[in-house]
Amino acid sequence: MLSVTDCRRTAENDSGAGLIPVLMNLWCYSMLLLWTLFGILVFPFVFGLCLLFLRWPADRLVRWFIWLYGRGWLLLMSPFVRFHREQMGQIEVGKPYLFVVNHLSFFDTFCMALLPVHDVTFALRSWPFRMFWYSGFMRLARYLDVEGSSWEETLSNCRSAFSAGGTVLFFPEGHRSRDGQLQRFYSGGFKAAISTGVPLIPLCINGTDQLLPPGRKLLCPCQVRLRALAPIDTSVFSEEDGHIRLRKLVKGRMSEALEDMRSEGHSR
Amino acid sequence: MTEQEVIELIDSSLAEEFELDRVDMTPEANIYEELGLDSLDTVDMVIVLEGAFDFKIREEEAVRAIRTLGDIHRFVLEKVADQN
Repeated sequence: MLSVTDCRRTAENDSGAGLIPVLMNLWCYSMLLLWTLFGILVFPFVFGLCLLFLRWPADRLVRWFIWLYGRGWLLLMSPFVRFHREQMGQIEVGKPYLFVVNHLSFFDTFCMALLPVHDVTFALRSWPFRMFWYSGFMRLARYLDVEGSSWEETLSNCRSAFSAGGTVLFFPEGHRSRDGQLQRFYSGGFKAAISTGVPLIPLCINGTDQLLPPGRKLLCPCQVRLRALAPIDTSVFSEEDGHIRLRKLVKGRMSEALEDMRSEGHSR
Repeated sequence: MTEQEVIELIDSSLAEEFELDRVDMTPEANIYEELGLDSLDTVDMVIVLEGAFDFKIREEEAVRAIRTLGDIHRFVLEKVADQN
């Protein structure tokens, strides 16, 4: 577990204030709890009203609420965390995309509220569906349980999301990285992008490993950056084993971009 | 195909699909504990083998009993022998 001293040392290097990590943990955890409770209590009423007036499909509406919840979280964290969105012009709002993003921390999913699109269906392993306070929302949002569903079901749900103009997001590493380096990529997201014919956008996230690394409980002040890379046309990967070529291309581009982001981070 | 060619095709196909290091791919290696595969990979493993050898094995009970790379070699060699 991260000691307060470690965190304080980071904060002192960054901002010269040793009390900041303590204040941050008190503020962020209590506000996150309140914000989550507020969301759970208010959701049924607002959801009902929005269903009535906006007339969006229920799952799309829930994904919008989740995005708003994420935006609220970003706002609550902002006194201690600097969030930067980079190259988001690569994403055309309203167009279906499959996103793949590297995975460093539990809070990566919250940071996806930095995306300019709110209709994002997350493709996840089974364990996040076991967090009882979130699982109902995840089911209503029709998030994909790639571990608990057959491949055919996952692909069919991806097609439904894309045909409604939404996007799907995969964490190709499957687990959080313990050392910040990219791990082995699973093929599912790449196969889904090729089978459905949508463009794939690699996303690179940097800094959440300092905010809350795997296995630790205390938050640290830091800077979080989310960068979108150029969309990749997946129609040219339709040959047998094309997903392997696509996966290698994406991993190479992400690895290069993350290296750039890390070196830029050190020189700032 | 000779036995050695079958084994080479299995190993190269799995190494490509799962980004495995060929040095670690010994017949005794446990595919879950030593090669790092998991439940998500099992389906992909079946698809890779079906694609490489042009047979259908997804319904076979024996696939569930596979633990080591050597088990995969033996299983595929038997299937290839049945085909011939």
